[in-house]
Amino acid sequence: MALMRVTSPHAHGPLSTSAVMQQVLLATVPGVLVLTAFFGFGTLVNIAFAALLAVSFEALALKLRGRPPGFYLGDCSALVTAVLLGIALPPYSPWWLIAVGIAAAILMAKHLYGGLGYNPFNPAMVGYVVLLISFPVQMTSWAPPRGAGEVPGLLEALRACFTPGSFDAITMATPLDVLKQNDALLVRDLWAQSPQFGRWAGLGWEWANLAFLAGGLWLLYRRIFTWHAPVAMLAVIALMAALFYDGGSSASGGSPLFHLLSGATMFGAFFIVTDPVTSAVSVRGRLVYGALVGLLVYLIRVFGNYPDAVAFAVLIMNFAAPFIDQYTQPRTYGHAGTGDGK
Amino acid sequence: MRKIHDFHGGIHPVENKHQSLHTPIRDAGIPAELTLPLSQHIGAPATPLVAVGERVLKGQLVAEATGLVSAALHAPTSGTVTAIEPRPIAHPSGLPAPCLVIASDGEDAWCELPPPCSFETLERPELLARIRAAGIAGMGGAGFPAAVKLGLKPGTQVETLIINGTECEPYITADDILMRERAAQIVRGAQILAHLVAPAETVIGIEDNKPEAIAAMCAAAEGTGIEIAVFPTKYPSGGEKQLIELLTGKQVPSGGLPMDVGVVCQNVGTAAAVADAVEHGRPLISRITTVTGAAVDEPQNFEVLLGTPMSHLLALAGYRAADNPRLVMGGPMMGFTVPDPGVPIVKTTNCILAPSAQELPAPPPAQACIRCGLCAEACPASLLPQQLYWFARGREFEKAEAHNLFDCIECGACSYVCPSNIPLVQYYRAAKAEVLQMRRDAQKAEHSRQRFEARQERLEREEAEKEARRAARKQAAEEKARRAADAGSGEADPVQAAIERAQARKAAQAAGAASEENPLQKLEKTVVTTRERLEKAEAKLAQARSEGADHIAALETGVEKTRAKLAAAEQALQDYQAQQTPAEPAPAGDAAQAAIQKAMAARAAQANKSPLEKARDNLEKLEARLAKSEARLAESRAAGEEEKIVEALASSVERLQEKVAAARAELAAEES
Amino acid sequence: MADVSYRELSLNGLWKNNPAIVQLLGLCPLLAVTSSVVNAIGLGLATTLVLVISNTSVSLIRNIVSDAVRLPAFVMIIASAVTCIELLMQAYTYELYQILGIFLPLITTNCVILGRADGFACKHSLLPAMYDGLIMGLGFALVLVFLGALRELAGSGALFANMDLLFGPVAANWKIVVVDDYQNFLLAILPPGAFIFTGLIIAVKNIIDARIDARRAALREKPVKGSKRVRVTGTIS
Ligand code: SF4
Ligand code: SF4
Repeated sequence: MALMRVTSPHAHGPLSTSAVMQQVLLATVPGVLVLTAFFGFGTLVNIAFAALLAVSFEALALKLRGRPPGFYLGDCSALVTAVLLGIALPPYSPWWLIAVGIAAAILMAKHLYGGLGYNPFNPAMVGYVVLLISFPVQMTSWAPPRGAGEVPGLLEALRACFTPGSFDAITMATPLDVLKQNDALLVRDLWAQSPQFGRWAGLGWEWANLAFLAGGLWLLYRRIFTWHAPVAMLAVIALMAALFYDGGSSASGGSPLFHLLSGATMFGAFFIVTDPVTSAVSVRGRLVYGALVGLLVYLIRVFGNYPDAVAFAVLIMNFAAPFIDQYTQPRTYGHAGTGDGK
Repeated sequence: MRKIHDFHGGIHPVENKHQSLHTPIRDAGIPAELTLPLSQHIGAPATPLVAVGERVLKGQLVAEATGLVSAALHAPTSGTVTAIEPRPIAHPSGLPAPCLVIASDGEDAWCELPPPCSFETLERPELLARIRAAGIAGMGGAGFPAAVKLGLKPGTQVETLIINGTECEPYITADDILMRERAAQIVRGAQILAHLVAPAETVIGIEDNKPEAIAAMCAAAEGTGIEIAVFPTKYPSGGEKQLIELLTGKQVPSGGLPMDVGVVCQNVGTAAAVADAVEHGRPLISRITTVTGAAVDEPQNFEVLLGTPMSHLLALAGYRAADNPRLVMGGPMMGFTVPDPGVPIVKTTNCILAPSAQELPAPPPAQACIRCGLCAEACPASLLPQQLYWFARGREFEKAEAHNLFDCIECGACSYVCPSNIPLVQYYRAAKAEVLQMRRDAQKAEHSRQRFEARQERLEREEAEKEARRAARKQAAEEKARRAADAGSGEADPVQAAIERAQARKAAQAAGAASEENPLQKLEKTVVTTRERLEKAEAKLAQARSEGADHIAALETGVEKTRAKLAAAEQALQDYQAQQTPAEPAPAGDAAQAAIQKAMAARAAQANKSPLEKARDNLEKLEARLAKSEARLAESRAAGEEEKIVEALASSVERLQEKVAAARAELAAEES
Repeated sequence: MADVSYRELSLNGLWKNNPAIVQLLGLCPLLAVTSSVVNAIGLGLATTLVLVISNTSVSLIRNIVSDAVRLPAFVMIIASAVTCIELLMQAYTYELYQILGIFLPLITTNCVILGRADGFACKHSLLPAMYDGLIMGLGFALVLVFLGALRELAGSGALFANMDLLFGPVAANWKIVVVDDYQNFLLAILPPGAFIFTGLIIAVKNIIDARIDARRAALREKPVKGSKRVRVTGTIS
């Protein structure tokens, strides 16, 4: 038998890309469960349908591009995109909404740019933003959480998805919406008035955020990503909220805790901002990247047109990531200075 | 206790060291044939001193160091030199290299060795000479000749002498077992090295996964002032640069040497070899090598003669070839695969790794880089491997260099952690090789450009000189004629003229010094313009006279002055020519001059020839040309070249034939 | 002046050197007003008219105007043409005029027009210049209409809505609803949609070109097979 000629290193670590992706998928479970508990089966249906479509679109795109679909599907990246988008979409979305979002994410944001690793923009967020721009009505109508309204069952969830005409969606403004649209009231009054609010933030939302936080911490513990970007983002959001929160007058933008536990904050911090492909690469770069995402999230939430802003903030920073990389090159061993701007 | 620093990155691969540590070092014995590659170290290959068929004794010098950065070779046992020829050796390239082959006679008879002595009695140069003579090259892996590293420039102050007992690569235990069993020898070696480089401190660095070795070394170093530093296990803490940072907190500047931060680093194996060489005069003819991996039954360490085929060791360890898809010399992180088990052990072979297919599976196909950054976290050089990978793949070598490609130590940590199984190091090696090649090419191109420009310049210079000489000659001739004509008409004020002359000369000198333009030309110009002015002034004067104007006097003085100036300028020109003429056949112009003369002579000869001769010459030349073209035509016809070309050739032959006919006619006319 | 082949001109304007998707000129109106077919036709026609007028006039005066002032002269011509068109539209298709808004006067700055004036009309005689203006305008208008149709279809699920703005009351019911009960896909109608669809059109054109080239190359390959390589170098003495 001829001896193999390969170059060093001969040993390889235990981690593989599909393992990374699978762990990310696993880490979304608590958040998804909480969402399901509060908002019903809508999110699960979203995710299931999105996953199905994503895998088909991915296979199609790979086929068109002349790549072996079997090998590339194995990296599970399409599934991750689908799950993230499924979580981000409002529960009880109609099937075509999901289809358009996944098509935009997989075909446009991912494969038009060359597939996994080559996409400058986070595919799930591209899908989300395409939908948000195109179908603002559907994208901003969330079901009321358990405790503030009726929660449909599984059958209704399926009906809502596949025969949208026959389903009367009951929707309710999200807490971030409420806060944004009622700037004549004291925060305390809002709390008393609207059933959407819970202990610290939105009813249901706070627990979903905590669950995503837990999933994220688990990923951190498994060293799937580093703490830099998410922590920087959360810190800046909290800091901005603290700066602008004046104890609850009508003009204040919500307390730091409210912002940390509202909308897609935790989901974004641990599942979107940490997307390695589209973020900055070095440690310092990720700090800058995360911090700027946090800043943009707060600014758009409080001063912008849209109630939540993680998707926009992330896409904007995706643009800036290569630029950040340029200026945050780490200092190489044996080199003086910081290696900046070389 | 010293402060242990940390270095960026690093990984913790499974160590797999215990397998080969169950038994003490075993003597591998004497194989039937030993193959000594002439280049077992970094630097120039050694030069063989023996001939094929010669009998050599154990320890005899068989190849000497070539130049400064090189190492000598000695016969590992007694026997006969049977060949000096290229053989397959253990080298990443896998190419055969010149080797000296010795058939052992089994007697193992030593040659005469220098008497044992103690190092304190030896002077530094003598010590160094002994180390050099023993052919010791770094035994940790790189194989840098030890004597070169130790031969410090006078006046350098070494802060720290580091003896590297880290052995951070998985599987390898050669240094570990050496430290366990021969701690005293290592310490003596360290003392000798310390004696040699006189450092402020001597430290032996060992990872904390070798408690037995640490204990043995501590015991041996007791009371010698040598410090044993223990630090946490992490790959690649045994890398020279990383170890230096660990122990001193200093970083070797990029592209520099450890000496630049006052550190000298040697491996424990090297220290032991140094002790042997200095105290017993024994050259480096054997080393400790680990044989391990799941495809050998009894992984263990051998004391093995250099040049022993790997297969010999493998057989001793119970090798199962069928289980072994790849054979690695060195460790799993930085070792390289060998083409066949017959390749010899060399000075740097610290390990032979024979893994089974399950143990080190074949690399799976690489997936896309997801920029997860794990590689950057692992990189001990604080590089951004993923960016380097992009640049290397995209052949953006400039950017790769800007991202410090050349600071990569090829430790393999990045490839190890990469979840997408990208063979990153392979890309870096290829990129480095390509950049180096490009640099060499660029240098070559630069050289030839310079050569070309120099030649161009020389030609231009010669041309200019020729031109200048021609102009000067012409000027001189004119001048003579004019002077003959003008003689006696110069009635200039002598004082004025002298002043003018002096000024003109000074100006000429200044101009000559300051500008490229030939001073001669300047002077000539002055003469010409002054003459023109004089003529104009004279014309005016004449006109004024004829008109009877009242400023005739003023004009007259003007004319006088101009005339004086002209004279001065002419004088200056003459002076300058007088100065220049003796130096005229300038050395640079010699060849040109000769060529000109030859050409002129030829022309003169031509001119002297009678018309008859000329015609005959002409005819001869034309006939020669015709013959040549005819030959060319025949050739191209035979080669079946394209029709157009053949036609063209044919027509040119015809033309020549016509010319020849004309020349013949002419000749005939002349003759008649 | 070399003869101009009208065939070549047509091919250039419509496909090979199409101002919108090959030269990528005039992208600003292209992207801004192609949200529906009617807008696209309106602007396309206006641009074509201006191109014909400007090419004709420039060709007429090409020997009179000196090189130094040619550009200002061209711009003056174009601007007057645009003003005429604008006034005409104001008179006959007022709603469309209002929808197209600033993009009508902006035709003046459309690089296609100045480009053709300076690049073609001022070097050619009247007829070719006129024809070039027409064909280039048509090429541009075709892309506009195609893009408008795509975007309208994707954006609202219908085609040819509001055609009466341009063609009068007869066209009031030209609208074809392709998909009933369609959810408006705003992205297609918003500016990003213009970019995305233009990109797709260019991609498709490139694919078609590549196919054509491949087929041509295949055709060319065959007869050449077996023959010797033509030797072009070599000295003849
Ligand atoms: S470890 Fe591999 S996949 Fe991750 S960034 Fe580095 S090269 Fe890319
Ligand atoms: S091989 Fe080079 S790039 Fe990779 S970890 Fe080692 S030093 Fe860093």
